[in-house]
Amino acid sequence: MRPDDRKYTRSHEWIKADGDTVLIGITDFAVNELCSGNEGDLVYCDLPEAGRLVEAGETFGEIESVKAVADLNAPVSGTVVEANPAIEDHLEILSRDPWNEGWMIRLAPKTKSLDGELMSAAQYEAWLAESH
Amino acid sequence: MAVRRLMGPTGTVAFQMAFDGALLDAVAGRDVAGVGATVRTYGFTPPGLSLGWFQRLVDVPRAREMNAVARRLTGGGAIHHHRELTFAIAASADHPLYRGDVAGSYRRVHAAIADVLRDVGIRAELRADRALASDTAGTGLCFHASSSLDLVWPRRGDGALAKGVGSAQRRRTGRVLHHGSIKLSPDPEEPGVATVWPLPDPARERELEEALVTALGELLGGGLEPCEPHPSEVERALETQAWHADRHALQRRPSRR
Repeated sequence: MRPDDRKYTRSHEWIKADGDTVLIGITDFAVNELCSGNEGDLVYCDLPEAGRLVEAGETFGEIESVKAVADLNAPVSGTVVEANPAIEDHLEILSRDPWNEGWMIRLAPKTKSLDGELMSAAQYEAWLAESH
Repeated sequence: MAVRRLMGPTGTVAFQMAFDGALLDAVAGRDVAGVGATVRTYGFTPPGLSLGWFQRLVDVPRAREMNAVARRLTGGGAIHHHRELTFAIAASADHPLYRGDVAGSYRRVHAAIADVLRDVGIRAELRADRALASDTAGTGLCFHASSSLDLVWPRRGDGALAKGVGSAQRRRTGRVLHHGSIKLSPDPEEPGVATVWPLPDPARERELEEALVTALGELLGGGLEPCEPHPSEVERALETQAWHADRHALQRRPSRR
């Protein structure tokens, strides 16, 4: 069971409240889809700098594996507070711990609500089982 | 549902890379309502070099001396588009061909290509964990680097195992662009790679192109419907081609920073 302290998107990002901000990352499914368990297959990640405004659904960064470049999409609108400085040089974190160490950006959300089209862990898993 | 088979258009490397972007946006109806899975093969006039999405000119020494250079949407190394069969597939990410991990979709597409190559006498196989004679440090070229999923066969001359097919994907909000190159005959800009034939042979190359498109259409599960590009795709490509070839932008990685 994936962590139930956060919400999930259909493009395989997660979002978790953390005080007045939210943390955003990608799920184990997304990581495995890109690198099939070979953590060395992740080669580059571009994340935004602090202060950038992102809209829900908009691309906030990109991640490259040996065989694919994938967009990273913001689950909610807000202002980037910081990007995880460890990710760029240590992409293996994403394979090892996508849920905690592997957070990608901290966002000051435009609204407090994290509902909308986001899914709970159970809903995400049911959707994965049905569609993948 | 029929698979759209785009005929051309031929163009510069900047236009072709921009057109692939338009194609990715169009598939699954983002820009052009109802556009489904699409296959296209295309040519470059004049021959040109595409950089991988995150490459810079400094990463590819030969690129600094070439005029026809553009950024490709997909990652990996640079490709000199000359004497090759270039293809692109655009489909929804939940299409059975692309559902699941990226590696699985490569295996399916490359198995189809290997079948087509077998019919012209090339026994292409996945590289797996073998070393390649074509791997060459420092050139930044796609065909001088390899991964386990690349298609390889003995190259002409010394018979050493070398890369002959390279492909890469871009995944964007539920859509996939899969770009690939099959090296048809030797290109001095990409020495040491495996090729299908020792010399250009337009008639056999056209037959191979038709066989490839048929195979990819079958893989996508539909009958092929030959189409001209939608005017909005061409318009979008014309609008964005300058960015793909902008010399200043090619000096640094695209970034959200």
